Amino acid sequence: MSMQVRDLIKAVRGCKTAQKIREVITRESALIRNSFRKEDKINRPRNIYKLIYIHMLGFPSEFGQLECLKLIANPSYIGKRIGYLGLSILVTENQEVLFMSTNIIRNDLSSEDRYVVGLALAALGNIGSPEMLRDLAPEIEKLMESESSYLKKKATLVAIRTIRLVPESVDRFIGKVRTLIGEKNHGVVLTGLQLVLSIVKTEPETIVKFRKLVPGLVRMLKSLVNAGYSSEYDFRGTADPFLQYNILRLLRYLGEGSKKSSKLMADILTQVGTSGGISKNVEIAILYEAVSTILSIESDSKLRVTAINTLSRFLSGRHNNSKYVALNTLLKAVNTEPKSLKRHRKVIVECLKDKDISIRRRALDLVFGIMDKKNVESLTQELLDCLPKAEKEFRYDITAKICTAIEKFSPNDKWQIDTLIKVLTIGGQYIRDDVSSMMTSVIGRNPDLQYYTSKKLFNILLDDRYRNQTFLQVSSWVIGEYGDILMQKSEKDGELINTTQALDLFQILLESSRTTDETKYYILTALIKFSTRIEGYDELIKKIIKPYREHVNVELQQRACEFFLLFDYNEIRDPILDRMPIFVEKEIELEIEEEVSENINKGENNDIQKNTQIIQNQINVNQNIQTVQNTQNTGINELLMLNTETKKTQPQNKQDSLNFLQEIFSGSGSRSNNNNNNMNNNNNNNNNKTGGQGLGLDLGLGLGLGLGMNNQSQRQNQMQTQRQTQQNQMQNQRQTQQNQRQINQNQNQNKNQNQSQNKSQNQNQNQQKVQNQPFVVYEKNGIKIEMNFKVGNIRGTPAVMSIIKTTNISSIPISNYLLQVAVPKTLKAQLSQPSGQTIPPNGNGLVNQQLQIIKLVQQKTQLSILLRVTYVINGQKIVENKEVSNIPIFF
Amino acid sequence: MPSLQSSEIRYILVQNRQGKTRLSRWYFPCSDEEKNKLLSDFYKLVNVRDPKLANFIEYRTYKIVYRRYAGLFFGMCVDTTDNELAALESIHLFVESLDAYFGNVCELDIVFHFWKCYALMDEMFLTGEIQETSKKIVLKRMSDLDRLN
Repeated sequence: MSMQVRDLIKAVRGCKTAQKIREVITRESALIRNSFRKEDKINRPRNIYKLIYIHMLGFPSEFGQLECLKLIANPSYIGKRIGYLGLSILVTENQEVLFMSTNIIRNDLSSEDRYVVGLALAALGNIGSPEMLRDLAPEIEKLMESESSYLKKKATLVAIRTIRLVPESVDRFIGKVRTLIGEKNHGVVLTGLQLVLSIVKTEPETIVKFRKLVPGLVRMLKSLVNAGYSSEYDFRGTADPFLQYNILRLLRYLGEGSKKSSKLMADILTQVGTSGGISKNVEIAILYEAVSTILSIESDSKLRVTAINTLSRFLSGRHNNSKYVALNTLLKAVNTEPKSLKRHRKVIVECLKDKDISIRRRALDLVFGIMDKKNVESLTQELLDCLPKAEKEFRYDITAKICTAIEKFSPNDKWQIDTLIKVLTIGGQYIRDDVSSMMTSVIGRNPDLQYYTSKKLFNILLDDRYRNQTFLQVSSWVIGEYGDILMQKSEKDGELINTTQALDLFQILLESSRTTDETKYYILTALIKFSTRIEGYDELIKKIIKPYREHVNVELQQRACEFFLLFDYNEIRDPILDRMPIFVEKEIELEIEEEVSENINKGENNDIQKNTQIIQNQINVNQNIQTVQNTQNTGINELLMLNTETKKTQPQNKQDSLNFLQEIFSGSGSRSNNNNNNMNNNNNNNNNKTGGQGLGLDLGLGLGLGLGMNNQSQRQNQMQTQRQTQQNQMQNQRQTQQNQRQINQNQNQNKNQNQSQNKSQNQNQNQQKVQNQPFVVYEKNGIKIEMNFKVGNIRGTPAVMSIIKTTNISSIPISNYLLQVAVPKTLKAQLSQPSGQTIPPNGNGLVNQQLQIIKLVQQKTQLSILLRVTYVINGQKIVENKEVSNIPIFF
Repeated sequence: MPSLQSSEIRYILVQNRQGKTRLSRWYFPCSDEEKNKLLSDFYKLVNVRDPKLANFIEYRTYKIVYRRYAGLFFGMCVDTTDNELAALESIHLFVESLDAYFGNVCELDIVFHFWKCYALMDEMFLTGEIQETSKKIVLKRMSDLDRLN
């Protein structure tokens, strides 16, 4: 004999462990199952109750689903009641059971007993599937006209479900609306309003039709508002608040986009939206609904201002809930009502200090929303004031907003620098990367502020309260980069800053256990820069760097080794560590987006700022030279980046810069003598300082070769470093010999150059011909690369546009096809993504790519391009470089 | 099955402070696994929340509106465009009705008479909409139903 429901619940509650509960339930489930099998009609209702309880506890109960059907098929009301409850709780997904229940429900819908009809409607409302509702729609429609308001309400709600799940049935119910809303019974009116809302959501065209209801709704609302007290529907002192919410909500839909309807409701909205207290939740909810409606419909500006004022009252209230909804609504109004919103600045800012993160977050959005050029300084200050107390994630949000504010409204660069420094010091670790990149770019373009900034940073650096890593990184970069300016000017000003102090500070920071390795990279780089900026401290710097040659961190070790070696090559040290070019943010951002940005960001923790990305690219190029392995990943991106340097270059010997490009490629082509090659070329350039500026590019030798190599084991790296050292030593010995050879080379180059200049005049004449004519730049292994050129303008800059078509006429498919382009420093190239990486054989397909070349200097320039083609044919990887310098295009 | 996007209320839950679900009504089609996930998420979100904070939590693309009554959390998941304050009122209305029906309701009343609670819920809410907002009418209906038993 199975137990009572009560006893089961008691038994479960008496269990001390989950295991015990499981035992009780398993035993009971078995009994129930047994009883079901025996068709035990007497205990069936009780068993279903028990199963519902078992289901709530999270145990299986599927075997009871059919029993529920048996119960609802039973004519007794009690059985039906339990059966329908079981059905609505136990059966939610089982379409088959639902399908079987459809007919029983249909019968019950036409029952004479309205309680039975009510049960069937409730079940439909809770679990009715689209099929069931479609089948039963006529019955539902009929019941909406029932005399009993009890059934009318339920049928109307089931109609809403039907409209949601079977949208095409909407027409059936539209005609019912008017009578429902005209009823006296509030419950029926309420469901009628909800029906209209669901109809207009499903079928927005019906709004126009329903606008006829506006006067009636306004009257209804008016009587509710003025009624004060009605015994039946009074809820917490307000006359049927739920009906009021729904009327207001429906008015919103009907008023939107219609001036006429909006005007009709203006009076009552003014009344509802301005009167009424804000002490009780019920009242606030009505005000809130009214205000939302006022702001959504075509209200006049006066009414809108009142609405904003009401919301502002919420903000100064004590209830967090009302603050939350007010901020949400104000956020929606920020674009339409900026003026009146700004008047409530104070209360909004106050919300930034709220305990609730969701309120603070909204307040932050809102503060940002009302920001403009006039108030940016004070509002940013408010945001900064919130920073110290904010938790990590919120700090991140705040700094992000400050960055955006700077981008949009910064009144001047000095303010921008001051603000960024504040963010760096207060915000600590949890700030957006942009802060550092903005910082470095703003300093770069403002020579007047370089001293100011570096001095300020230096002074803050002395105070160890603010030594968070991001700040350390930025400040060591700035102090390293502008060390000379800092020292010279501070001496003049009688400031107590000197180089020894700076170096001491760097040493302390390097030795501090609180400094991360990543920060140490920056400090080391700052130190080596110092050596070129200020004379006479080489030995001291060497002493500081020296121990890091054996540091356990490979990257750090490598930097230290290379920097240390640089001291032996004074001629190249200066150009390597030359001042960063002024950084043009937009261009690089653009390219990063267009090119494969992952290359840049991947694994490189070094992106203190976009400016340093140039360094990185140099480093990457250097990697190119050093290892063939990496050529696939690095590549075009970096090559292109080289040309983004906007530093004013002296008119350069073209041959020389092409030569430099060749270095990049030739170096990467042959692995064996790559190091020598690199040094070789550096020396070459130094010996013949024709276009000294070009040098800033190809080096990077020192600047951390290790980036991207972290995946290799430490040991390998050590070996590599050793090998490098050896190679360099060997190279020193051979240097004289090489110099000799280089001179010869250069003589040859000069000859070539003269020749090409002679040629160029003829070529100029051919230029017109070549335009629009495909120009075969590469033809080998069946692969043919054609380019056609067109001279034009891009945003006022002379430019050459080119379409590159690659076809494969061999019988073997080509895969992993990659084309890379480099141009002399006077030009800037941008290559689009290729249309594919594989080329089918026999000329059956082609790869398209677009190339844009912009000129960076005034002089007329001949177009010359260096191509590198990489592809795999017959399983063999082929990398080939091709210089295209005979293009008869001048621009 | 099309989703019930525009449904006012997606589900109504009553949980105690230990995370035991006392009542749950789902107004959108949803598998048992999904329900369990939503239940445990509700518990995690609501249980640790500082009582001084707002009673609204953004959850997935919806909003959970909840209020604590003694050891029980009453919550409903509504659309982000819905009036949160009104949802809170409807929770309160439900609790007041339970209170009036049982006469000073406590958790045990709900545990031992869960079917009555469901019946009351079904008189107040249906298919995610509010059906009746008069406590008096709901209570009268409940006593009618009880008499039929």
